[in-house]
Amino acid sequence: MSNQPLFWIFALLTCGGAVGVVISQNIVRMAFSLIVSLGSTAGLFFLLEADFVGATQLLVYVGGTLVLLIFGVMLTASGPFQQIRVSPGETFLGAAVGLLLLSVIAFTVIDVEWDTLNAARTEASPGAESGNTARAIGLRLVGIPADHEIGVHEGRGGRTGYLLPFEIVSIHLLVVLVGAAYLARAKRRVADGSTGGEN
Amino acid sequence: MLANTSIPVFEQLFNELTKTLPGDVFAFLPELVLCGTVIALLLGRLLGTDRWIPGHWTALVGTLIAFGFSFNAALGGIELSSVEATAEISRSELFSGLLINDGMTIFFRLFLLLFLVLVIALTVLSGIPDNEDGPDFYTLLLGATIGMMLMVSANHLLILFLAVEMASVPSYVLVGFLKGRRASSEAALKYVVYGAGAAGVMLYGTSLVAGLLGTAEIDQIAGKLSELTLTGATLRTILLGVMMILVGLAFKLSLVPFHFWCPDAFEGAPAEVGGFLSVASKGAAFALLIRVAGQLAGPAAVPPEIPVPGLEGLAISLAIGLGLVGAASSTFGNLAAYSQTNIKRLLAYSTIAHAGYMLLGVSAMILARHAGDTDLARDCVSGVLFYLTVYLFMNLGAFAIVALVRNQIYSEEIADYKGLAKQAPLLCVAMAVCLFSLVGLPPLGGFVAKFFVLAPVWKAGDIHPAMWLLVGVALLNTVFSLFYYLRILVAMFIDDRPTGQPVAKPDSVDKLYVALVSIPILLLGASPLIGKLSQAAEDAARDLFL
Repeated sequence: MSNQPLFWIFALLTCGGAVGVVISQNIVRMAFSLIVSLGSTAGLFFLLEADFVGATQLLVYVGGTLVLLIFGVMLTASGPFQQIRVSPGETFLGAAVGLLLLSVIAFTVIDVEWDTLNAARTEASPGAESGNTARAIGLRLVGIPADHEIGVHEGRGGRTGYLLPFEIVSIHLLVVLVGAAYLARAKRRVADGSTGGEN
Repeated sequence: MLANTSIPVFEQLFNELTKTLPGDVFAFLPELVLCGTVIALLLGRLLGTDRWIPGHWTALVGTLIAFGFSFNAALGGIELSSVEATAEISRSELFSGLLINDGMTIFFRLFLLLFLVLVIALTVLSGIPDNEDGPDFYTLLLGATIGMMLMVSANHLLILFLAVEMASVPSYVLVGFLKGRRASSEAALKYVVYGAGAAGVMLYGTSLVAGLLGTAEIDQIAGKLSELTLTGATLRTILLGVMMILVGLAFKLSLVPFHFWCPDAFEGAPAEVGGFLSVASKGAAFALLIRVAGQLAGPAAVPPEIPVPGLEGLAISLAIGLGLVGAASSTFGNLAAYSQTNIKRLLAYSTIAHAGYMLLGVSAMILARHAGDTDLARDCVSGVLFYLTVYLFMNLGAFAIVALVRNQIYSEEIADYKGLAKQAPLLCVAMAVCLFSLVGLPPLGGFVAKFFVLAPVWKAGDIHPAMWLLVGVALLNTVFSLFYYLRILVAMFIDDRPTGQPVAKPDSVDKLYVALVSIPILLLGASPLIGKLSQAAEDAARDLFL
């Protein structure tokens, strides 16, 4: 692969960021390390031609969750650089669970026969290398069903395009937004006894 | 697969959209009208017209138009079926197989919209959202109903999840609608936390099922199930996925052991919202459960003589498992209702018990379907539909009276209901009708409904004897439940009203509404209307198993 050097850079950044989260005791530095780690993961997704997942990773985790996290820290912490101290017991427990997960993932990765899988993948869909997943997904969302996917069956024309959920979710979000605004809004006047219910 | 130049793509898009979309959108009109009503409510607030046209009128008119459209669709379905006399005609898929439009969709749409009209009317009478909050309240109510209407027509696991969320999230806000009251906020928080957990579990379950079966379309599940060799890891995974989906639905149905949110949410929520959730949310969840569970029983094409090894066990354990959950729900609901002093909490436990009775019908349906007895399976479904319709009136009636009485005496404690019959005789008589019907006493709708649900379950005992036991438990529960319902009536009719209690003087409109809701209970107990409704329920169930 021609992307080999890029892969190593992103992989090192991902792991380095993750280690940084664990080692650092300062919550703001931890958040920054997490940004590095998650952002590089998005880079890895882009290298794998999964541009939609990569973009989602950037938007949701780096752009959304982490900014929220940092705002949360800024709004709640008493000092700007709050320290987190962990007891030895917690370190031990965390390390045990982490290593267990690592070994599970490592064994799974070793078990997979990558060569045959790669050959099968290129055989099944030669165009997969070209990326463009976002476009295919986008087309399904506006109603063009994709072939050779989940839900293909003959004689019904029932190939699934996701126009309906894509559109109806906007009504859902509108309704939920109204609900959130209602709950957050202060009541302008006190309800009188006849309408305000009991008590 | 897709051309790289843009013109063929747009051509394809255009072709796809013009081919099926107009018809699909026409069949989707009732939901679209509700969406439009939501927007009209918001615009009304923006432009300030809600001062002249209050929110409840906008909501009521929108719902009535949607009801008209679905009623029209139902009439079309009846004409079609009488001419063609085949079930397959009236069954069609919308939006490339995401939704299904069959008898059951039509039935539940009418059910939900009729109920929505009644609930909006009740909120106008009881005045729980004042003019300022009205648009918000009705937006949430309509939004939740759109979600429920999607639930009843879902034919895809993605829609299943989306619809359940669309129905749930506005409900969380509705439960906490009375801001600033501790009980209300606590109820909403509990509902949110449990609901989020159940939704996560259900999403995981749908991903397991869709991944293993290679299809996300609900009506393909049965066929794909029979193609799998259900042994070892595959069986465990599919069982896990199915159970996780059922957890999500059981949460919506407030079945034991996923019922903890129910009494708290109902106690904290306004009685109107309690009534809405107890009927609409349950009805929609039952529709979804019937669709999913009917598929899990396996395909009808496989005759029972050639059992697919894993499928046999899956269907029977599912049926018996659901039956046991149903029996446990009705037993627990009834036992816990005894010690309640708050009437909304008591009614919450009573709804848990009633969900249990109806679940027996679903479990018998799986068994009958698995044994290849399609007629019996349809009887089970139509029994559940009949029960739900009667349940609509009796439960709404009970909650409506609680709401209207609350506006008079400012209390929802059973102790404060003492001697109410002398001050508000009509309300108390209507309450008696609702409660006796909830028990299932003979001349009332509740009795007929219980009979229609339990008779097919009894028949399914021929397939598996455990069903007889379940019917026995349900009948015992019916006797138990008499006592705690009677406690309310004893307080209302026999006890004297203590001096110094607020006097209840219901308006004539209140009385009219209560009479309107409770008269169908009488009619559905002893009049030709029974035949009409059971015919409609059978029509709705007919398309279900082809």
